[in-house]
Amino acid sequence: MMRYRLEKRPEPSKLMLYGTPVAAVVLTMILGCLLFSAIGYNGLRAVQEIFLTPLTNPYKWQDLGIKAAPLIIIGTGLSVAYRANVWNIGAEGQYIIGALAATGVALMTWGMSGWWILPLMAIAGMAAGMAYASVPAFLKTRLNVNEILTSLMLTYASVQLIYYLIRGPWKDPMGIGFPQSRLFSEAARLPNIIPGTIVHLGVPIAVIVALIAWFVMSKTVFGYRMRVVGAAPHAARYGGFSETKTIWLAMLVSGGLAGLAGMLEVAGPFQRMVPGFPTNYGFTAIIVAFLGRLNPLGVIVAGVVLAITFVGGQVAQTTIGLPDEATGIFQAMMLFLLLAGDILVRYRIRRVSPEASVGAA
Amino acid sequence: MTLSRRGFIKVGGAAMTLPLLGGAAFGQAEKLKIGFIYVGSINDNGYNYAHNQGRLYVEENLGDAVETMFVENVPEGPDCERVVRELAQQGCKLIFATSFGFGDSVIKVAPEFPDVAFEHATGYMKADNVGLYNARFYEGRAVCGVIAGHMSKTAKAGYIGSFPIPEVVMGINSFVLAARQVNPEFTITPVYISTWNDPAKEADAARAMIDQGIDIIAQHTDGPAALQVAAERGIVGGFGQGADMSAFAPETQLTAIIDHWGPHYLASAKAVLEGTWAPGDTWEGLKEDVVQMGPYHSKVPADVVKAAEAMRTGQIDGSVHIFTGPIKDHTGTERVAAGVTMTDAELLSMDWYVEGVIPPA
Repeated sequence: MMRYRLEKRPEPSKLMLYGTPVAAVVLTMILGCLLFSAIGYNGLRAVQEIFLTPLTNPYKWQDLGIKAAPLIIIGTGLSVAYRANVWNIGAEGQYIIGALAATGVALMTWGMSGWWILPLMAIAGMAAGMAYASVPAFLKTRLNVNEILTSLMLTYASVQLIYYLIRGPWKDPMGIGFPQSRLFSEAARLPNIIPGTIVHLGVPIAVIVALIAWFVMSKTVFGYRMRVVGAAPHAARYGGFSETKTIWLAMLVSGGLAGLAGMLEVAGPFQRMVPGFPTNYGFTAIIVAFLGRLNPLGVIVAGVVLAITFVGGQVAQTTIGLPDEATGIFQAMMLFLLLAGDILVRYRIRRVSPEASVGAA
Repeated sequence: MTLSRRGFIKVGGAAMTLPLLGGAAFGQAEKLKIGFIYVGSINDNGYNYAHNQGRLYVEENLGDAVETMFVENVPEGPDCERVVRELAQQGCKLIFATSFGFGDSVIKVAPEFPDVAFEHATGYMKADNVGLYNARFYEGRAVCGVIAGHMSKTAKAGYIGSFPIPEVVMGINSFVLAARQVNPEFTITPVYISTWNDPAKEADAARAMIDQGIDIIAQHTDGPAALQVAAERGIVGGFGQGADMSAFAPETQLTAIIDHWGPHYLASAKAVLEGTWAPGDTWEGLKEDVVQMGPYHSKVPADVVKAAEAMRTGQIDGSVHIFTGPIKDHTGTERVAAGVTMTDAELLSMDWYVEGVIPPA
């Protein structure tokens, strides 16, 4: 009888490190195909529409770009924080607060024109995201409160703040009572960069942000510090890296980037604040960060993969009547398989003969 | 072969327009594709379910002449824009956007597809190829109000609303005006939950209001969650909204307001097939059978059924209009003089509560 056992690798496998995300996506396709066939859909078409149509139909690329942009920006920030073992789960809240600050600037400058309005909105968005992330950072460093809980809970508070502002002080005078802010003036809207499409300035910004983060993380002392603190906290302390300072940096970077994403999203696709603004980009970006192996370059790829499932999910609804929930099932399957596959990075499966296994036991 | 990104999108865009041209050239010989966009799930057994019933009604009546497709759970924001475009690109020549918050997206995309007919439910923005349609839900609310006025022991009702837009405010006002004709002490407390469909929030709001002493519940959200809580807590009763929800609360639903969109959808589809479609602005109710009342529960006493029927038939033959003065607002100021009936324009911009409404904080 053949037997297998898990054996710890002397050092993490590079092949598996980059191979498992790909395997997770491929396995998701196969399992998704089987699953949806089993419940009476055309499984092959489902996988094709969700994963391939967005890629093969050039008209869908613009959708991929604008859907991936916020995921990449937030995912990049989260990958920096997670590298340092700082678990900021509240990117959604920082994203919302960033968007609200940007909305505030847009409304204050309403009717004005000037090139400075958008940069000001971006600064406000980032500053607000950082400020919001500094609450869990403060609580963690001063009182040792778990940042997972505090950052998550602040997300819910931020949603209520949207409702308060758009029902009261920011209510659109032209909106016949609908709780939404007024439409931003031209100067507060992100310009389209490719005429005739809906691709806005946020898309190239997302790629640039990820590239800068990659450079910083792999080539600078800051990046080294984040990686060391995450990988070997004791060695880091010994090496003189302050843990408190690292937590602050991680939260500020991830919060600031989430705030930037919020600004880009409200000034780009939305162009006003509405109650439907929170669409869980901040949570989906957690999947993006992990699928991208906490590497900003990987995050770009992962952001696009997640965007494909969103856009493809909508295609599949109209073409083969796949229910909306299917998208969520595919995304969840991907993360699950990825995390399950992670064991192969540090362990390997060894086939052992019965005699040998007796000896080993 | 090298191809710049911009060039590729151009080529792709040109390729995409080919099927559209083809469709136009072949004209009526091809099936009319009709797209529907729903804000919630077609399984909500309420608002979206009712719209989907309308879609099926068109299919039943026109058979092979049409092909329908739908996208559900579409958030009110940029995602809707993508879906509208998606449906138009797939060759839909008639697209129904069935929720208020889809207005921005439809108005944005419609000019890109001048040969597509768009219809937006419950909205207020028209364009050359964007028509509006709505139902006089408030007529059904008045019938419910009569029953509530008779049957409530505490003379207090709760009302779960989504957003304080005129359509919702109008329904609350209609309900309480009718109830106060029966019992001048009757009051209603609205709660807004900032979403059309979130069973957990609907249920929480219902519980909170029942704890405060209401014994009748009504809702302007999409599902039966509030009715189920009413059943669980054993209060006097509630009303189905959008569709007959008696299956979910057989002992609690006193009657239901049923949206019957089928005839309207059929008329629009026929108009497009015959080439006579023009952007309309319809607002039909009980008389046109677009709004229907569900069966009265057996525990509603005969004299109450009689009063409710009088309200229903009166609105059908035009002898009763619930918004006929004198009407005071919630502060006691007279807003509509005796004998004067509010105009449709006044109703569609209604942003004040009538006497008997306890405004939310």
